[in-house]
Amino acid sequence: MEIADKAVDDQARQLEEEAALAGLVSQYSGTLYRVAYSVMRNAADAEDAVQEAFLRVLRHRDSLGEVRDQRVWLIRIVWNVVLDRKRRAKTRPETDDVAELTRVLPAEGLSAEERTSAAEHHAHVLACVEQLPIKEREVLMLSAFEELTSVEIASVLGITESSVRSRLFRARNLMAGLLDHSRSLR
Amino acid sequence: MVVDCDKEFAMNSSRQNSIAGSSGSDDFEETLRLIARLSSPEGLEERIQAGLHAAPASGGSRVLSWPMALHADAVWLRLAAAAVIVAVVIGGSFGVYSRVQSIQPTRAVTVPLHLSTQGGFSSAGAMRTPQTLNGPIVEPSVVAHPATVAPLPVKPAEMPIVKTPPEAGKAAAASRYTAQPTGAVLK
Repeated sequence: MEIADKAVDDQARQLEEEAALAGLVSQYSGTLYRVAYSVMRNAADAEDAVQEAFLRVLRHRDSLGEVRDQRVWLIRIVWNVVLDRKRRAKTRPETDDVAELTRVLPAEGLSAEERTSAAEHHAHVLACVEQLPIKEREVLMLSAFEELTSVEIASVLGITESSVRSRLFRARNLMAGLLDHSRSLR
Repeated sequence: MVVDCDKEFAMNSSRQNSIAGSSGSDDFEETLRLIARLSSPEGLEERIQAGLHAAPASGGSRVLSWPMALHADAVWLRLAAAAVIVAVVIGGSFGVYSRVQSIQPTRAVTVPLHLSTQGGFSSAGAMRTPQTLNGPIVEPSVVAHPATVAPLPVKPAEMPIVKTPPEAGKAAAASRYTAQPTGAVLK
C-alpha cells in the first residue's frame, strides 16, 4: 500500500509541475520571445532560444517552488541562452537586419519606400549598438524593455543597481557619439 | 515640468524621427523600444508546449530512466537489480584479487655451486668462471634447498679431459704460455 501511495503522490506531483510549467509558458513566452529577438534579431532563432529556455526550466522544474520572481528568473535564463548562441554565431550583416525589420516592424500609414527607409535606419542603429562594449550594450538593450526596472535588470545581469545606472549612462553617451560620427560621414 | 515637456516633445516627434531617421539622442532608444515591443509570432505558445511534451520527461542528470510501467509496483525489482550489480562488482573484485595473488612469483635465490677440481683454479667466488686448463667444467645450478633437489646430470665436456699428473700439468701450462710469447691466449 505504501508503494501505491508513493506512486500516486509522484503522479500528482508530476501533474502539478506540468501545470505550473504550462502556466509559465502561456504567461511569459511572449516576453521571453521579445527579449530573445532583441539579441538574435531573427524570428526562428528567437523562438529556438525561448524553447531552449523552457527546456532548461523543465530540467530544473523541481526548484520552481523556490523561485521568488519567476518572470525575472525566466528572463535571466533566456538572456543567457541568447548570449551563448550569439557568441557562437557569426557576425550578422546589416542587410539581414534590414530585410528582417522590414518584415516585422509595424507599417501602419507608411508607404513601401518609407518602410524600407525606416528599416534601414533601425538596422543602422542596431549596428551601432553592436559596436558598444558588451557590458554597456547589455544594459542598454534590457533598458528598452518597459517591464524591467533597473533592479530587475541588475538581477538579470548579476550586477548592482548602481552598476546598471553607470553603464546605462556610459552606453547612451557612446551611442550618441557613434551616431553623430556616422552622420558626419554621410 | 521642463523635464515633462521635453519628454512629451520627444514622444511626439519620435514617430517622425523613426521614419525620417533625423538626428536625436533618443533615436537609438526608440529603435530599441520598437524591437522590445514587437509582438510574438502566432502559435508560439502552442509550439513551445508541444516541444516540452516531446522532450524526455526525466532530467538529464539521471543515468537510468525506468519505464513508467515499472514505477508503480516494482520497487522490489529495483532492489533486486541493485543487489545483482553489487554482487557482480564484488565477484569481479575477488576474481582480480585472486588472479593477482597467483601471478606473484616465488622468490628463490639461485646460487651456483662451483666445484673445484683437483689442480684447477678456484673460482674466488665468481659467478662465472672461464673454461681454462682442464677443459670446460659445467657446474649444475643449485636451488635454495639443495637437499630436496635431485642431482642434475653432468654434461660431458666439449674437450677431452686429459688426466695428467700434477707436475706434468704445470709444465704443460708453462710451455703453453712460452710457446706463444705475444698475445698469449688462455685456452
